[in-house]
Amino acid sequence: MHKLEELKAVAFATYKEWSVYRTHSMVSMFVGPIYFIVQYYIWTAVYGGADTLAQMELSQTIRYFGATVLIGYLTMDFADWNLQMLVRTGKFLTFTLRPMHHRFFALSQKVGHRILGFFFEFLPCLLIFTLVFRVDIIPEHLGWTAISVVLAFLMNFYINYCIGMTAFYLTQANGIRVVYQLLAQVFSGALIPLNFFPPAMQYVMMFLPFQYTNYITAMIWTGGDNIGGINLSVPQAVLCQGIAVIAAYLLSEVIYRISMKRFTAVGA
Amino acid sequence: MAAITVENLVKTYTTYKRGSGFLETLKSFVKRNPVTVRAVDDISFKIEKGVICGILGPNGAGKSTTIKMLCGALFPSGGKIDVMGYYPAKDRIKYVRKIGAVFGQRSQLIWDIPPIDSFAMNKAIYAIKDSDYKKRLDELTELFDVAEVIHKPTRVLSLGERMKCEFIMAMLHSPDIVFLDEPTIGLDVIAKTKIREVVGKMNQNGTTFILTTHDLEDVEQLADHVIIINHGKKVFDDTLPHLKSTLGNKKIVKLTLSKPYIGETINGANIIQRESELDISLEVDVEKQGINDFLNDLSNFVDFTDISIKELPMDMIITRIYNA
Amino acid sequence: MKYIKMYLACAHTAFSRAAAYRADFLLGSIITLLSNILFPLVTVLIYTNGATFPGWTMWEVLLIQSVYSMSTGAAAMFFYSVVWVTMEHIREGSFETVLLKPVSPLFFIASSNFDPQYGGLFLGGLVLTIVSSAHTNISGLSGILQFILLFTAGLAVMSGLYLVMAAITFKWVGNARIPEIFDSIITFGKYPAGIFPRGIRVLSTLIVPVSVIGYFPASALLGRLEPMAYISLIPCLLFLAFGIWIYNRMIKLYEGVGG
Repeated sequence: MHKLEELKAVAFATYKEWSVYRTHSMVSMFVGPIYFIVQYYIWTAVYGGADTLAQMELSQTIRYFGATVLIGYLTMDFADWNLQMLVRTGKFLTFTLRPMHHRFFALSQKVGHRILGFFFEFLPCLLIFTLVFRVDIIPEHLGWTAISVVLAFLMNFYINYCIGMTAFYLTQANGIRVVYQLLAQVFSGALIPLNFFPPAMQYVMMFLPFQYTNYITAMIWTGGDNIGGINLSVPQAVLCQGIAVIAAYLLSEVIYRISMKRFTAVGA
Repeated sequence: MAAITVENLVKTYTTYKRGSGFLETLKSFVKRNPVTVRAVDDISFKIEKGVICGILGPNGAGKSTTIKMLCGALFPSGGKIDVMGYYPAKDRIKYVRKIGAVFGQRSQLIWDIPPIDSFAMNKAIYAIKDSDYKKRLDELTELFDVAEVIHKPTRVLSLGERMKCEFIMAMLHSPDIVFLDEPTIGLDVIAKTKIREVVGKMNQNGTTFILTTHDLEDVEQLADHVIIINHGKKVFDDTLPHLKSTLGNKKIVKLTLSKPYIGETINGANIIQRESELDISLEVDVEKQGINDFLNDLSNFVDFTDISIKELPMDMIITRIYNA
Repeated sequence: MKYIKMYLACAHTAFSRAAAYRADFLLGSIITLLSNILFPLVTVLIYTNGATFPGWTMWEVLLIQSVYSMSTGAAAMFFYSVVWVTMEHIREGSFETVLLKPVSPLFFIASSNFDPQYGGLFLGGLVLTIVSSAHTNISGLSGILQFILLFTAGLAVMSGLYLVMAAITFKWVGNARIPEIFDSIITFGKYPAGIFPRGIRVLSTLIVPVSVIGYFPASALLGRLEPMAYISLIPCLLFLAFGIWIYNRMIKLYEGVGG
């Protein structure tokens, strides 16, 4: 019960902290639809008159990009940047003085942020997509999609947290973070559905964390049964995602324990 | 001759009230309540050339805002400022060539590289001639005794070493006026003494210093002229000796009594502090009652085993002025 | 002359800082190199799956994107950090330290925060441009001259955009997502304009001329420049001028001019 109270308190404090910067959320209402418009015109032109490309129909591809945007608003975080900043500036020390596991604190923060995100990024964009762009963006399988979104939320967090923890070992872990973000942009399926990659590569990507942060969820959302290039069905994809989340959680736990032992604060 | 003249200075700004509950926060997303604050409310003063002037005031009194306006970083909402013939905010680029500033809590040194590199950058920006630069740098590094320190990256320096380098950076271009904002905050006793020593020395060479601080020892050791600002208004503007006597000529007499004393006064002097049952402090108004007479009669009222007599401490004086 | 000396002295501190963290600089250069490879990847994947941008070969589209990288890299070297440094100063309330220097604040911040890391992006874009050019028909000297003109205009509009971004940080305090807005706007310059409807093309040519960043210069090299491109030169210059003006205006407002 105490954990829940902690979660609520931190989430609420974070929610309030971010509400101060109200225009921040409005950025998403601009950026998301713009991104979608660009993808819409690119793919409409690229498909030409073809029925399918890389086993995806044009309508699914377009819905896919709408889905990746919306999923991003529900699942993204800055856990990597934030943790690195805390370690680099020595402020992490103040957390070791509090009776709270920092990772849990960071997760609670994310909950607070994403609640804001739900109201001020997800919902408005959903409305814009549905009413203005007239895209049929409602998920095919609502239940599975919801589960997958939660898994993507956690996956993003644990992996970003691991990246953040590299700050305990390298003075400029920022570089690692940027490299990861770059790779993630491509291999999470944000730039292009992973079905477009050569089949061999798609097989390899099953074992990398990237696709579980967005691609899998977006494909479930748009209702394909051509997931992962090996034609996973929706329930199978959710299962894979679940396994990936558990693996990510365990990895973060191991690194956390080693890091705490190693941690020395930068001098005041 | 006045280096700084300030007339009817005013600064107002608008801030927004935010609610605290969940709904209030949500509401503030759409509509905010503006509140006008009068940070500096009609202040006037003159500071002479070659003086060290301390500007005091509680937090939020309007000190920093006044200093920013004097530095040219902020435009006044009303009133006039004249520093060495310049209107700081308007003539900013020409004006700031003549001034230096050390902010105790904001570094001007570049964090990752040695101070000497930051100095070199300043040399170019202030267009300091090579010979002047070398002379000044050598002079200052010797005064502060930091010849080796300036070649290490700023981030590895101790706070004391860093502050000394901040000073050097501020004075390389031989400014006529130097603003010091909390320059000794967080420093150990030795570093503080060193900095005060150098400030005194530079002042003897003609540099005017404006010092904002909460460290009253800084004021006592350095200031000739003291200005106190509270709630945006000037509440004191005179010399340091006058500050000390502003609450009248009073002495603090501390006694260790032989037995407890219940009562508010002893021999006409108020008991202002009880450290324990037997240790008390009295405030004696020497103008009403000469110290000689007071002490002569004191043993008629109480028995004591120890006594000490001191001037009113600065923090007591300042606190009373702040609370007036 | 004096300004060049000042600029070099300030930029020197930027280089020193980069050298102080050699590993980071190296890593940063690798990162920019990677991003050069990854962005054109989408184009390559599209074409290897049998689709095309109608009327454009793969190498022609890659040419657009490599020129785009060159442009963004070059502009970023000089102006990108102005956004972050300004934002941090405003957030920390330390902008006064900039106002204490006897030079234009914009000049000081830009020169002392020159970011050599983006040189990697520029160089990578240059390499890809050369490679793509080898696989396409470059239309000779006139094409190259037009390219230089339009590329310069592209730098002007990019710099102007960065300055507008930096100006916004005075008001939208601590909004780390401002660059995203601009990233999304300039995206339109990465693709053949023909795929967009007329309304968008007018916007991206005449109002916020982002087509000048990648699409127009590349088209010039390929000898298929739209005549409309020349009209966009004016908004490019206006944008740069506007960027400088609004940044300085925001400083004045920060200082409290006008009560």
